[in-house]
Amino acid sequence: MIIKNMLYFIREALNSLMRNRLLSFATISTVSISILILGIAVLMTMNAGSFMNRLESDVEIIAFLEKNLSSSQIRDAGEEIEKMDGVKQLTFVSKKEALHRLQENFGGKEYNLGTTIGENPLPNSYEIKAADPHNVADIAKKVEKVHGVYKVNYGQGVVEKLFNITKWIRVISVIFIVLVSLGAVLLIATTIRLAIFARRKEIKLMQLIGATDWFIRWPFFIEGILLGSLGALVAIVLLLLGYDSLISKTDSIYFFSLLSDPIILSKIYISLFLTGSVLGVLGTYISLNRFLDV
Amino acid sequence: MLVQFYNVSKIYPNGVKALDDISLRIERGEFIFLMGSSGAGKSTLVKMFFREEIPTRGQIFIASRSIVRMKRSEVPKLRRNIGIVFQDFKLLENKTVSENISFAMEVVGANIRDIKIRVPEVIEMVGLKGKEKCFPGELSGGEQQRVGVARALANRPLMLIADEPTGNLDIRISTEIMELLYDINRKGTTVIMATHAQELVRAAHKRIIMLENGRIISDSLAGEFFL
Ligand SMILES: Nc1ncnc2c1ncn2[C@@H]1O[C@H](COP(=O)(O)OP(=O)(O)O)[C@@H](O)[C@H]1O
Ligand SMILES: [Mg+2]
Repeated sequence: MIIKNMLYFIREALNSLMRNRLLSFATISTVSISILILGIAVLMTMNAGSFMNRLESDVEIIAFLEKNLSSSQIRDAGEEIEKMDGVKQLTFVSKKEALHRLQENFGGKEYNLGTTIGENPLPNSYEIKAADPHNVADIAKKVEKVHGVYKVNYGQGVVEKLFNITKWIRVISVIFIVLVSLGAVLLIATTIRLAIFARRKEIKLMQLIGATDWFIRWPFFIEGILLGSLGALVAIVLLLLGYDSLISKTDSIYFFSLLSDPIILSKIYISLFLTGSVLGVLGTYISLNRFLDV
Repeated sequence: MLVQFYNVSKIYPNGVKALDDISLRIERGEFIFLMGSSGAGKSTLVKMFFREEIPTRGQIFIASRSIVRMKRSEVPKLRRNIGIVFQDFKLLENKTVSENISFAMEVVGANIRDIKIRVPEVIEMVGLKGKEKCFPGELSGGEQQRVGVARALANRPLMLIADEPTGNLDIRISTEIMELLYDINRKGTTVIMATHAQELVRAAHKRIIMLENGRIISDSLAGEFFL
């Protein structure tokens, strides 16, 4: 029954969309905006999440050693750190090695840091990796007390700060999404209400002739779903274009590589599309309930 | 027996008692006039048949089924067996004669092949051949009501119900519509028609149910009542 009449329903829905062209356009635009904001928020939080994960796994503790330690004292300190809970990996970086890295990073070939700064002022150090990034702060505290260690460095607070930022992005975008989606649903409901109003005589007649409630409802649901999904489609196209160009602009910046897994991305886009359709169904439902006695 | 009313009363929410203890039997194939002055309760009684109004008290059976206790989801099936003709025709202005009739079949889920066969059939039956592509606005009142009758017949109803179908038409055109309804009745469809036009009824020699203040004050053949 439903399949057989689908063509009729779709025809009715399209007629109705065209009858209220201007309002349909405004409704689709509003849906687009809300889905666009939703999409941006989702992409931002997902990227921030993966960025944080990468950052966390990169967080190292560096324990700088006092100047005049004997090699056995250095070894003792290393052994003590290695025995600590949660330490995954320990690497000794000699002062020579440290200068070498500095030379690589800043001097290049033109400046010879070794001759510029005279005697090597850098300390020996241990690089410590934690098994679980969340324990970094605890381990750092313990390492600080090890005999021969004079200073400990780690990504103090960076992770926490980032987490706070993403939390705020999330909160603000949820508020935004709720407000704009509400607007979209209400506009869809208004469009459907007008469509019902335009066809009220026809609907009354259909009821008297013996059309079922669902036969009467279907065209409106299709109209609502069309409004919602067309809006979502516009938003998705904009997101695709924008995000793609963002990826190509940022792929040269090492630490800022954006999420580009096509499977994850297509899942996001499909969810956005479905969200648009759901908004359409909600809007239609509200109006059918309020203005149609079927 | 097709229809049976048992002690049906209708009190509208505003307190008006539009029907008062109506009991009634209608056999298959009858032609019945519902008569009475304006406000007598004719329209309210007519609406009971297709459950547009529900009795406040009493029972109604159509083809042995109670339509009072009927579930909402069963109402469409009831209405498909009843063709309704309206005083104001209720044609869709943006659809042609053919489309107005096929609309009635589409909305009850008839298949396209049946629609293609049946629409010309009923157009022929009501004498509107050649007017298929006209819009209601291009037709006279009498022709528009013929479209109304054709639409009511499209789904082959057991019963045709007409509430003042000639109310907006002059006497000559009304007589033509009456001939059409008699013709339909002769072919086997039960017809129930509400009217206050005595001149149409007098000549007919059909069963007449007289209403006054929501009560049946007589139920007889025209001859018995008016002579
Ligand atoms: N929907 C309604 N609500 C309240 N009162 C109504 C309604 N429909 C009809 N009535 C009242 O019921 C009485 C019978 O009306 P109706 O059945 O339309 O009579 P008729 O068709 O014979 O003129 C009248 O007094 C009318 O005002
Ligand atoms: Mg009336």
